[in-house]
Amino acid sequence: MEEKYEKLEKVGEGTYGKVYKAREKGSGKLVALKKTRLEMDEEGVPPTALREVSLLQLLSQSLYIVRLLSVEHVDKIPKAHKASGNPNPQTKPVLYLVFEYLDTDLKKFIDSHRKGPNPRPLPHSLVQSFLFQLCKGVAHCHSHGVLHRDLKPQNLLLDHHKGILKIADLGLARAFTVPLKSYTHEIVTLWYRAPEVLLGSTHYSTAVDIWSVGCIFAEMVRRQPLFPGDSEFQQLIHIFRILGTPTEHLWPGVTSLRDWHLYPTWPPQSLDSNLPSLCPLGLDLLSKMLKYNPSERISAKSALDHPYFDSLDKSQF
Amino acid sequence: MAANFWTSSHYKHLLEQEDVDMVNTLDKEKGITLEDFKLIKMHMANYILKLAQQVKVRQRVVATAVTYMRRVYTRKSMAEYDPRLVAPTCLYLASKAEESTVQARLLAFYIKKLYADDKYRYEIKDILEMEMKILEALNYYLVVYHPYRSLSPLLQDAGLNDLNMTQLTWGLVNDTYKMDLILVHPPHLIALACIYIASVLRDKDTTAWFEELRVDMNVVKNISMEILDFYESNRMFTEERINVALQKLTLRP
Repeated sequence: MEEKYEKLEKVGEGTYGKVYKAREKGSGKLVALKKTRLEMDEEGVPPTALREVSLLQLLSQSLYIVRLLSVEHVDKIPKAHKASGNPNPQTKPVLYLVFEYLDTDLKKFIDSHRKGPNPRPLPHSLVQSFLFQLCKGVAHCHSHGVLHRDLKPQNLLLDHHKGILKIADLGLARAFTVPLKSYTHEIVTLWYRAPEVLLGSTHYSTAVDIWSVGCIFAEMVRRQPLFPGDSEFQQLIHIFRILGTPTEHLWPGVTSLRDWHLYPTWPPQSLDSNLPSLCPLGLDLLSKMLKYNPSERISAKSALDHPYFDSLDKSQF
Repeated sequence: MAANFWTSSHYKHLLEQEDVDMVNTLDKEKGITLEDFKLIKMHMANYILKLAQQVKVRQRVVATAVTYMRRVYTRKSMAEYDPRLVAPTCLYLASKAEESTVQARLLAFYIKKLYADDKYRYEIKDILEMEMKILEALNYYLVVYHPYRSLSPLLQDAGLNDLNMTQLTWGLVNDTYKMDLILVHPPHLIALACIYIASVLRDKDTTAWFEELRVDMNVVKNISMEILDFYESNRMFTEERINVALQKLTLRP
């Protein structure tokens, strides 16, 4: 491992380990190394890592999914043992996922447009292009029977010179099988979490990712999150205040969801008052992504054909 | 349904029968014949099922585990990868990949309970080490598609979705994992072969329905024949023959 890659700096913490920026010595190419320590005395390779690797093997050929270059397994001898000269050191197995390196993520990118010396909106054409690529990636996952379940700006890597966006961190993703039921509840980061998940629905599907895409779309336009809740309850309140409290009429079955309670009745606000700078076509697409009833929510594939993208030069994708 | 299968790693990894039936050189040196090879794999598929029933995981996990085990032996020898360790480890790995993790210590416990024989005795540590080796042998490709998924929509379409037919075809699909079919054929064709056998057994006329499907009926019939052949020869697979085959692995060449 040390012979093949030169670690340059720690760039973050993934779902289950540190991420390093590194250089592949042979080619000079930059890579991201995602390290997973395997607790061999307990349960071997963490299931999240396994899931991520196997789903990446399945999806990685898409331009809009971060590319997994290789998986390296090394047995590390702890430093203390090296020094002690113990002839039978306890080796610690480590798994490295080697990814292509991208210089930033959407969260940092949005932050840099909100804070710092030169705050400015993201150019409209860039929002359009990033959203299109995000929908492409999500459509690719969904067509392979994979839900991402944790889409958020931090998980969208950017090559901002080339204007490329790629989906990363498939640690929570799963290949779905029909019927879709009994998923764990604690998944998507609150801000991007779909209302059916917040309300304890056990039968959820691809629509949960589309909700997240909608929230990310709004966040690119606003440069701040649309629904910044800090608890599950607060999260629902944020959503209801803007979109109105859902009713049986709007979303049949909502009042029988596990965690449904009586909430104050807020009337829906118009989305454009929250996103004054978004064009009418953009508002139309967003409203279709933020439909309460999951079965009415637009699919990633149909989103790609929405007129909002008509002014985008699709030939580059 | 099957749309995603065609672009999947599973599809790209389908093998030719002769590649699946290739006995590793190291195993050949130990006197393992093709017959022994198939017998051991069948026995290990049964072992995985028995263990799975103890630890209570879904049939899908069993199917994935057996697929892993069979894939491993298209690339690795039984001499180096002891089937008695590979089988439970594949179950362990499949339980994680299918999101119903079974603890290694639970597996180790039931291994002891199922087999008093020392040759089956493996501890947690052995399972965890083998897990890593299997992952590498599989090159981290862990997503497997199974015939179960297409079974019920197909039965429904054929108007055969009563309890009796559902149970019969489901059972037939389970039995296909005693063979290498999942490595060679797309899952929906295996499902169709099981429906074909079941409809013949239950005297249901499905000729028109099969004709309307745009599938190669020759392949479906060939798979069906393989399954029937297996049932035919199954009776001769005695415990003793399996033990003789496994015994060869422990012999020094």
